[in-house]
Amino acid sequence: MDMNEETSQSRKLKCDDTSKCFQLLESILDGEMDNSKEVLKEKLAKCQPCFEHFHLEQAIRDVLKTRCTKQEVPTELADCIRQKIQDIK
Amino acid sequence: MSEVQRRKYSQEEKNTIFDGEFMPHIDSMYNFAYRLTFDEDDAKDLVQDTYLKAYRFINSFEQGTNAKAWLFRILKNSFINEYRKKSKQPAKVDYQEVETYYNSDDVDYQSTTDLRAESVKGMLGDEISNALNSLAVDFRTVIILCDLEGFTYEEMAKILDIPIGTVRSRLHRARNLLKDKLRGYAHHMGYDTDEEEEI
Ligand SMILES: [Zn+2]
Repeated sequence: MDMNEETSQSRKLKCDDTSKCFQLLESILDGEMDNSKEVLKEKLAKCQPCFEHFHLEQAIRDVLKTRCTKQEVPTELADCIRQKIQDIK
Repeated sequence: MSEVQRRKYSQEEKNTIFDGEFMPHIDSMYNFAYRLTFDEDDAKDLVQDTYLKAYRFINSFEQGTNAKAWLFRILKNSFINEYRKKSKQPAKVDYQEVETYYNSDDVDYQSTTDLRAESVKGMLGDEISNALNSLAVDFRTVIILCDLEGFTYEEMAKILDIPIGTVRSRLHRARNLLKDKLRGYAHHMGYDTDEEEEI
């Protein structure tokens, strides 16, 4: 997805309130905002820092979700737990 | 998630809940425990203790409700009460780093100007994991719960016993700190950064 080039000239280069905007964008990415579509469209179309922040945050969430190494669960752990539960029943 | 024992499950019901609702989360629980303790044996003990507690207090769990959040809360409390003290690799909290970081107004703006989404996409799982693991435990925890385990802010508030507003601001800080670490990797690895292209 190469969206960085398109229409970037129509965006303002300085965000009015990065702190507020970025937290809002993060809440949207976390699925914590209702009616987020409209807000998002507006922000991304008009503000370059918001646009970049959104895509960076999205990329970070993606790699965290898909690439963060998972620890292999020791095979005996579940049996161990079941045995201990048997003992206290 | 009140601790009041509202029910009295039969032995059979207990088994059904334990096997059907608690045990399926063992992978997530172990991964959470490992990222808190950085030690295989400690993680195993922590998960085991959590399940034993869950069984002991099973009457305060309402069948069919959010078992994963309930279990994570027990695990997190066990970690704070027992493991944090004796952990082989004590949680390193770099308060100075955190403070100086947040005394700067420009911090949010900087975050985007010199770390690119493309650089992040090119990073390896180990680099991401290491960056996450290097965060102080409170910051690490919110990112694990939100991004790795997919809990909502409301669930996280219950697991961590903090208000939703605190969840939101702690996550925001955690993400800024994580970006700092990733930026370090990006520079170290010679990944593309914005600076040169701005001319
Ligand atoms: Zn903006």
